[in-house]
Amino acid sequence: MIPSEQGQAAKPVSKYRSQFRIYVDIMHVIQRENNEAKPTRILYGANLSHDRLVKYLEELKALGVIQENGIDEKTYSLTQKGIEFLNNFRKVESFASAFGFKI
Amino acid sequence: MLAPLWFFGFDSLMEFIGFAIASAVAYQALKGYRLSKERTLLYLNLSFGLLGAGLLIDGLANLVVLLARFHRAFLFLSAFGYTINFLAQLLAYGLLVFAYMQQAKNVGGQVAMAAAVPALFFEHNAITELILIFLLVYIATNTAINYNMNKSTSALLVFGAFASLSVAHLFFLLFTIAPVFFAFAHIAQLFGFLLLLAMLLRVNHAA
Repeated sequence: MIPSEQGQAAKPVSKYRSQFRIYVDIMHVIQRENNEAKPTRILYGANLSHDRLVKYLEELKALGVIQENGIDEKTYSLTQKGIEFLNNFRKVESFASAFGFKI
Repeated sequence: MLAPLWFFGFDSLMEFIGFAIASAVAYQALKGYRLSKERTLLYLNLSFGLLGAGLLIDGLANLVVLLARFHRAFLFLSAFGYTINFLAQLLAYGLLVFAYMQQAKNVGGQVAMAAAVPALFFEHNAITELILIFLLVYIATNTAINYNMNKSTSALLVFGAFASLSVAHLFFLLFTIAPVFFAFAHIAQLFGFLLLLAMLLRVNHAA
């Protein structure tokens, strides 16, 4: 289970994204990049600042859903746990969307 | 107003099927809530949990009345089951309306959900059914808007389910005029839950 972020104020222009949603967006980018994504691709794909990207990547690694590969040129890939999580998330998203609820 | 005798037993069976499907939807919503901590999924879980519980109690109460061969001492169970089922549906659909209002950030409208609940048992009557129709039409409208926006088959099935449940309660309302509508109401209600089952199977199969 991935916890959701608490206590962040919504920005006036951009729509508020929960920590959970950011985790999912990062994982989607990695999967889209054939499960081997460079940090810059994740940064642009998930629309994050560098500092926040580093923070979230560390958190996702600690959760065991992504892993870091390479030494000189770092890339990130989903672990088996991460792939299973994304599959479950798709089911939940599709279920909630059928009722008109956004997650 | 008494339900048609030939239909007794079938109504319980249909309610037990509805209970099983509502429980499956509640379980799926709970799984989603555990994964995402999204509160609307918790409301969905509680709502369908309540719907299932109401159907189970009403189905069991009517079954006991049938097995007791309509003995006078057990007849109150039918009204008891209906009352519990009505209250469960009132809370369940109220929760869903609340969830849709939260989604739309319509805080003012949430006050309208604090519905007064009569303490006595009641038989099928026009007022209770009108309250449920009012709530269901609101939910069905929201699911229709959702379908219009994302055009997915699952959204269409959910809209169909709530439209069918609205029609079921319209038939329950008409049952106060003619007994035959009792059967139509249960069939429409079962059809609504079967559409939800189809949505569940689709969602779990597609992913």
